[in-house]
Amino acid sequence: MTTRRSPGLRPLTQVNRRRSTAGSGAEDLAETRIATVLGLKQFTQRPVRTLLIKGLAGTGKTIVALEILKAAGKGKGAYISSRVPKELLEEHIPAMKETLDNQDFLDIRLEDATSVLDFVMQLTEPKKVRTIVFDSWDGLAKELDQKERLRAEKTLMALANNSGAQLIFVSEEPGATTIDYLVDGILELLRVEEQDRAVREFIIHKLRGTKIPQHKYLFTLLEGKFTFFGPYAIPDYSKIGKFAQRPDIDGSYSFGSGALDRLFGGMIPGSTLAIEYDENVPYSALRTIELPPIINFLSMGRSAILLPLPGANDERTNSILTRVLGESAVADRLRILNVVRTSDLQTTSLPKSATPNEIHELVTRETTRLREKSKDRSVLLVKSVSALENLFASDLDSLLEVTSQEIITLAQSHDAHILFLPKDSPIRSRILSMSSSYAKLFVRDGTVLMFGVKPHTGVYALQHLEDPTSPSLTQLV
Amino acid sequence: MSATSETEDFPTTFANAVHGGLDKVLGESGAAAVLSHMKMTSSLPDPAEFHRKLLALFGEKATLSLERAIVKDLVRRLKWALELLSIEGPFNFSATMLKIQRSVKA
Repeated sequence: MTTRRSPGLRPLTQVNRRRSTAGSGAEDLAETRIATVLGLKQFTQRPVRTLLIKGLAGTGKTIVALEILKAAGKGKGAYISSRVPKELLEEHIPAMKETLDNQDFLDIRLEDATSVLDFVMQLTEPKKVRTIVFDSWDGLAKELDQKERLRAEKTLMALANNSGAQLIFVSEEPGATTIDYLVDGILELLRVEEQDRAVREFIIHKLRGTKIPQHKYLFTLLEGKFTFFGPYAIPDYSKIGKFAQRPDIDGSYSFGSGALDRLFGGMIPGSTLAIEYDENVPYSALRTIELPPIINFLSMGRSAILLPLPGANDERTNSILTRVLGESAVADRLRILNVVRTSDLQTTSLPKSATPNEIHELVTRETTRLREKSKDRSVLLVKSVSALENLFASDLDSLLEVTSQEIITLAQSHDAHILFLPKDSPIRSRILSMSSSYAKLFVRDGTVLMFGVKPHTGVYALQHLEDPTSPSLTQLV
Repeated sequence: MSATSETEDFPTTFANAVHGGLDKVLGESGAAAVLSHMKMTSSLPDPAEFHRKLLALFGEKATLSLERAIVKDLVRRLKWALELLSIEGPFNFSATMLKIQRSVKA
């Protein structure tokens, strides 16, 4: 498998929704704009008119400030820069060129506080400007003594309060300053390391009049735009659409998902992909990795075997697959072997105390049977190691032996193998060493994240933005 | 009542009080910005016009605070007792200034 970049990823729906509401009508009240950009509009009860955006250099403060400025609407915002001229800013953030062109830009690098405050009065007195960004406020405030700085800040607050404009202060000062106590909201942007990869996070320290359901969120600056990730939401399976079959990619089987194909480049026949997951990864997130390859295999006329995760509802899985593929493909070429369910063991004539080897023989028999029905004799085996571990907790050596044998046998065939592996699995390291590809799923700030270890990839947020059976992956950059 | 400053006339004392009062609330840069924005750096207009301009910039509540600071500064300069003017609640800046000016002249 090879790692492919994801040029086709689209911005998330939060961004699109905001675009459609900014600049018009009731949706465009000053007090709702900041909360809308931060995805907290529904929680806002009182005005959030002044916001401090803090963070070290390179954390994305300017882009977040520009997103809020964009929401003010064309010609209704001003950007006061104490650091860089407009041309340089447009060069650094090309995606925001239009926003900068649409708003007033004041270069105050060589101006004093009096002139800047006069500029602000000129902007606020006609009561037409909705948002003013100070990037950075420190650049100017550091020239003032403590008392003078506080008074200048109070002057700005009074001007904002009277005009209805919102003021966004960008700051690189890590500690609390006088303005922390005056503003309605404080947002801190961070770059943190997660599993050897850098991810961006924002912390809402304060947002007056707003019940904050969550204080930390992940975000990305993909394509120079601020996009935050809310907590993972279970997909709405009632919105299952028509499945678009994905052909093989240069001799590799497609995952049945554009996002997964872009990340891993497809499944090479004979390969094993291990998906390791944390205990807090929701089942529906795992299912969105589990189902697309099965759906695609079946839609291509091939066969598949599924040993589901513990807690999976076979009827539900069957119902989803039947809705997408129709009854005959599911009935003829898919076998769901729920090893922890007595009924399945009975129907396959296995004793209740079946050994790993007996389960292996059952899988082998089913593979042989389904191979005959597969268009090109290839079979996809999707297997939960956790379910087998639960069943054979006292005989893990045998389970490891059988699993190793399966991986080796499969490598000689044209089949594909996906193993779901819990992070704390006692046989984890042995299985991972035999797997040709290895990806990890975990949760941070309520967002499900995924990345490839073998091959090495960036971190992606997993959501369900379109098809509920397929993952949408957005890279965190 | 009489003006205690023997070197300043009333317009100068008023101008100094405006600077002093605004300085106290808005800081030096804020005060200078307000006067520059109102184009009143060299001469101060009549109190009524000044009040209207402050109101346009800062709204009712902030204007009241600023005008109270100016009156307090003026009274301090004139060495008057503040109790002679009732400015704790809402008050008419223009009428108060006129009252002070008349008293000074008398």
